Amino acid sequence: MTTQEETLPQQVEFAAEAPVTGKVRLEAAWGSTEGDEDLSVTMSSAPKSDGQIFKQQYKPWNGELNPRWMRNWAILRHHLLGVFKKGHRPWGVPIRLYLLVVFVASLSDVGMTLVSGLIGDSGLHSVWGVSRDNLYAHVLGFFPRNMLYYPVVAALLVGGVISEDRQHGTSALYFSRPITRFDYVGMKFISVAMIQGLLILVTLALYYFAEIATMGRGWAWIIDTFPMFLATVFSALLLIFTYTSIGLSLSSVSKGKFFPGIALLSIILGTKVLAFIVANLFDREILYLLSPYDCLAHVGQAIIGTQPTYDQYSWTWSLASLVAMNGVALYVLSTRVSSMEVTRE
Amino acid sequence: MATKPQSIYRSLDRKASAIIEFTLRQYRTKKSTWVVLGVGFTALSLIFLIYIDVMASEFESIDNDRDSTDYDNDGYPRGQEILLGTDPWDGNSHPGLFDPPIEPDPKSMYINEDDFDWDVTIRLGEQSTGYDDDGDCLDSNKTASQKDTNGNGIPCDIVVEYYRLSDGNFYASIDADNGVDEDPDEDAYSREAIHIAFVLSIGKLGFVLLLGIFLPLFMATGLIRDEMNSGTMHFMLAKPIARTELFLYRTLGYLGIVWPYVIALGILGAIVSGFAGSGDSFFRFADLGVWLAIIFATMMATLVYGMLFNALGVLWKYGIILAIPFAAWELGMALLSMGAPDATLLRFSIIGWALMIIDAAAMLVWPNLDLFILMGNWGGDGNAGWNFETSLEGAGPLGFFSSKPGLGLSAFTAMIVSTLVLLFQAAIFWFIGGALFKGKEIQ
Amino acid sequence: MIPDFDQQGKAQTQQWEPEVAAPAILLENVSKSYGRIFALSNITLALNGGVTGVLGMNGAGKSTLFNLLMGKLKVSQGSVKLFGTDPWKNPAPYARVGFVPEHEKMYDWMTGHEFVSTFARLNGLTRDEAKGEADRVLDFVSLSDVAHKKIGQYSKGMRQRVKIAHALVNDPELIILDEPLQGCDPLARTTIMNVIRELGRMGRTVLVSSHILQEIERITEQIIILHQGRLLALGNLHSIRERLDKIPHRISIQTEDPKALAKDVIDLDEVFGISFPDGKNLSIQTHNLGAIHSRLPRIIVDNNHKVSTIDNPDDDLASILGYLTSGGGV
Repeated sequence: MTTQEETLPQQVEFAAEAPVTGKVRLEAAWGSTEGDEDLSVTMSSAPKSDGQIFKQQYKPWNGELNPRWMRNWAILRHHLLGVFKKGHRPWGVPIRLYLLVVFVASLSDVGMTLVSGLIGDSGLHSVWGVSRDNLYAHVLGFFPRNMLYYPVVAALLVGGVISEDRQHGTSALYFSRPITRFDYVGMKFISVAMIQGLLILVTLALYYFAEIATMGRGWAWIIDTFPMFLATVFSALLLIFTYTSIGLSLSSVSKGKFFPGIALLSIILGTKVLAFIVANLFDREILYLLSPYDCLAHVGQAIIGTQPTYDQYSWTWSLASLVAMNGVALYVLSTRVSSMEVTRE
Repeated sequence: MATKPQSIYRSLDRKASAIIEFTLRQYRTKKSTWVVLGVGFTALSLIFLIYIDVMASEFESIDNDRDSTDYDNDGYPRGQEILLGTDPWDGNSHPGLFDPPIEPDPKSMYINEDDFDWDVTIRLGEQSTGYDDDGDCLDSNKTASQKDTNGNGIPCDIVVEYYRLSDGNFYASIDADNGVDEDPDEDAYSREAIHIAFVLSIGKLGFVLLLGIFLPLFMATGLIRDEMNSGTMHFMLAKPIARTELFLYRTLGYLGIVWPYVIALGILGAIVSGFAGSGDSFFRFADLGVWLAIIFATMMATLVYGMLFNALGVLWKYGIILAIPFAAWELGMALLSMGAPDATLLRFSIIGWALMIIDAAAMLVWPNLDLFILMGNWGGDGNAGWNFETSLEGAGPLGFFSSKPGLGLSAFTAMIVSTLVLLFQAAIFWFIGGALFKGKEIQ
Repeated sequence: MIPDFDQQGKAQTQQWEPEVAAPAILLENVSKSYGRIFALSNITLALNGGVTGVLGMNGAGKSTLFNLLMGKLKVSQGSVKLFGTDPWKNPAPYARVGFVPEHEKMYDWMTGHEFVSTFARLNGLTRDEAKGEADRVLDFVSLSDVAHKKIGQYSKGMRQRVKIAHALVNDPELIILDEPLQGCDPLARTTIMNVIRELGRMGRTVLVSSHILQEIERITEQIIILHQGRLLALGNLHSIRERLDKIPHRISIQTEDPKALAKDVIDLDEVFGISFPDGKNLSIQTHNLGAIHSRLPRIIVDNNHKVSTIDNPDDDLASILGYLTSGGGV
C-alpha cells in the first residue's frame, strides 16, 4: 500500500480558481457527442504487456472530523437562522410573514396586560392579567390560538422539512456527509420545535414578565404563581412536541410541500370537529381521545389546574392517548427516515 | 355514428372528456388521493358506528313528575294514590284499605305515562293543545280553576303561543295546565331528536364542512399548480385549447372523483340513519329528502371550493397559504350559521349558502321542527314547580344544529336562491381563475 | 348537444382559418425583458418551411424565444405571429403547431400510446382517430414496440421520442423542438435526427434548438445564432463561416509524419502559419478554410501521407460566437 500511495500526485488540484467560462461548458457538452458517427465498440481485452491498467486510488482524508455536536449544530443553525436572514435555509416569504403575524397576534395578552397596568384599570387587568385560566388560554385556548395560530404554523413548518428533501433529492446533501440519519431527523425535529417554541414559549414568558413589570409583583407573587407558570410551559412543550412529531411523520411519508401541511391541519381540526359533534350529539366524549388538541387540552387542564371541560374520563387517558400518538408518529418517522432512499423521488 | 352533427360543442366535448379522463386517471395513480378518501370514509364511518350504537341503546326513562315514587312507603306509587284520592304522604292512607282493596300498580305504569299530545303547527298567536293521558289533571276532585291554571278558559290544555317582538324575531312560550303532558316518553323523544340532530350535524359539519373543505384543499389546489411546478403543463398548453377551458375541465375532472365519493358517502349515511333511526316504519323514507339536500349541498360546496382553491393555486405558488386561513374563516362561518342564520356576514361565505340548502330541506321534511325543539326544551314540566332540569335529552343539540334558512325565505325559495348563489360563486371563481391562468407567464 | 360519449367517426375540420399568406413564424422587433434584464432583444425573424436550427449557449434566449412562440410568455415589445396570429392568450394557431418542451418531467404513469392519444384528443380528434394517429406517429418515431409500456420505464431517448410523437400527432405544419437531443444516447440521437430531417423533407417548418453545433450541423445548415438575447446570425452555417474568412482558422491534422506534410502545405497561398503541438499532430493556420478544405485531400493523396484525422477545432459554436461577438462582424 505504501508504494501505491507514493505514486499518487502530492498535490491534487481541481483548479478552483480557473473561471468556468462558456467555452469550458461548451466543450464539456460538446464532448458528449463523441461517438455518434462511428458506432464502433471498444472492448477491453486482456492486459497487454505494454499496456497499463488504471486502478482507482483513493487518497485517504487525514483531516480531523469535527465532533458530532458541532456538525449537528450546523444543521440546526442552518434551519433556525433561515427564519431571520438570508444565506440559510430558505423558509419562504409567506411562511416567515405568517410567523411574524402569529408572533404579533400571540402578544395580544401581553399588550393588554401592559395597557391595563399602565392605565391602572383593575377590571381590565382581571380579564387580561396573568391567571390560571389566562395562562392556559395562552397555550391551549382553541380559538384563535389552536385553530388559526399554532397548528397552522406547525403545518407550514413541517410542510417542507423532510418531504421537500425527498422530492428534490436534497437529502443527499446531508447523507453524503458524516451525519447519521438520526442526527438529521433529530435536528430537523428540534429546529421545527424551536421555531414553534419561539412563538409559544417566548410570548408566554413575555406575558409573565409583563405582568411582573407592570404590576410591580413581588417575590411572594412569583413564588405563588411560578408553579402554575412552569406547568403551562410544560404543557406548551407537550403541545409543540406533539404537533411536531405528527407533522414530521406526515412529512416523512409524503412528497411535496402541501400534503403534510394540510394533513396535519386536517388531523388536528378534523378530529376536533368530529369529537365535538359526537360529544354534543350523543354525550360521549370518547372520541376526544382521538383528537390531539383535545388530549393536550385535557392534560393541560389537569396540570395547570383549571376547571376541566372534559369530565367523562380521567386526564390520564388523554395522557396515554398522547403518548400513543407520539409513539406512532415517531415510529413512522424513524422507520421512514432510516429507509429513505437518497434520491430524487 | 358518422351521422352525428358536427358542432363547436362536439369538439369542446372531445377536449373536455380527454382532460377529464386524464385528470381522473392522474388522481388514480396518486397515493394521496386514496389516503384522503379513505380517511374521510373512516372518519364518517366512525361517527355512523357511534350513531348506530346510540340508537341501539335505550334512553333512560325519567319520571319527570315523580309520581312513581312511593313517598309514604305504603307500597302504592304516588300517582296511583292521587288518582284514587288517598294521601300520598300518609302511609296509613292508601288504596289497599279500600273495600275491596286495590292491588298496587307497578311503578313503571307511572313513568312516561303522560306523553306529548300536541297537534298544532307553528303559526302566530295562541293555540290550545295537549291532552292529559294519565288523568291527574282531569281529576274529578279538582276544581275548575285548578284544572285551568293557565287561565285560558280550557281545562287541562297547553297554550302554545308564537309572537313577534319589535326586533322582528319570533318567540314562543308554553303555558300548560298543571299535570298535562307532564311525564313524556324520553326514549321516544330523545331518539327522534338525536336522530334529527345527527342527520343535521353530520350533514352540516361532517359533509359540508369537513368533506366540503378538506377534499378540495387536498385535491383541487394542485390541479393547475402541480402541473406548472413540474413543467408538465407545457404539454397541455401546446395544444389548441384555451386555458380557461383547461381550468374548467381540470376542475370537472376533480369533481368526477369527488362527487361520486360524496354521493356514495351520502347514500351510506342515508341507509345507516334510515334503518337505524327511530320511527315505526322499517325505513325512514322521509329523511331521504334531507340526505338528498346534504349530498347536493356538499356537491355545490366542493364545486365552489374546488374552483376557488384551484384559482388560488394558479394565483400563487403558495396558494395553499391563502387557502388555509380561508378554510378557518369558513369553519367560523359554519358555527355562526347555526347560531345566527340571518347574520349578514354569512352572505360573504360559501358555507353559509351551502348550509342554507340543508336548513331549507330540513324545513320541508320536518315542518314542525321548531315546535319539536320547543317541546323538548319545555320537557313536560314547565309549570309543575319541580326544581330540576326539565328539558329532554337531544333537544339541546337539535336546537344547536338546526336553524331556519336565513333571509326569511320560504324553503323552496331559499334552496333555489342559495343554489343560484353558489353556482354564481363557482362561475366567478372560474372566471377569476381562468383570467389569472390566461394572463400567467409560464416558464 | 349530446356528449359524444362513444367518440367515434371523424372530427370536424378546424374552425380557425389561418391568414393565407402569413409565414409560419413572424417575429417583428421582439423584445422580452424581466425587469431590467433583457432575455431577448429586438429580434426580427420570418420562417416558413425547412429545418432551422436555433443555436446558443445556455441562457442565450432559446427557451424564451420558444416560450414566446408558444404563448407562454408575453412579449415586452414587438409582435409575435404564428401563421399571422398572435399566440398570447390565443391557442388557435396551435392547431397547426407541434411543440416538444425541454422539460424532462413526464406523466410516468401513462403508456406512450395513452400519452400521445390523450393529448391528440386535445386537438379535437375523436377517441378513435386519436388512437389511430397515435399508432401512426409512434411508428414514425420507431416506438411501436414499446408503445404500450409505461413512460416511467422508458429510457431518456425513448422519452424524447415520445414527446416528439405527441407533438406530431396533429400533423402540424410547424414543429418546434426545444433541445430534443439533450441527454440522448447516440442511437436515439441518430433516430431523432432522422425524424427531424424527414419532417424537413416533408415540407414542414421545423425549429430545433441546441447548444451543440455538431448536432445542428447534422440536421440542417440553416441556423439562427442567439447570443445574450440578440440575434447574432441567421442563414446557412457555412456561408456564415465563409464570411469569417478574415479571421484565422485552425486545422489540426493527425498524421504519422507531420513535418513531411507541413512541407507540402506550406507553399499554399492560404496558409500563413504552421505549428507542431506534438509529434503526431500538425496545426495549420489559414484565412480561407474553404479553399484549404478543397485542396487538402488532393495534397494528402498525391503525396501519400498517412493521415488519421482532420479536425477543425475552431469550427464550433463557441469559436463562431467568439468571432461574431469580438467585432468580426458578419
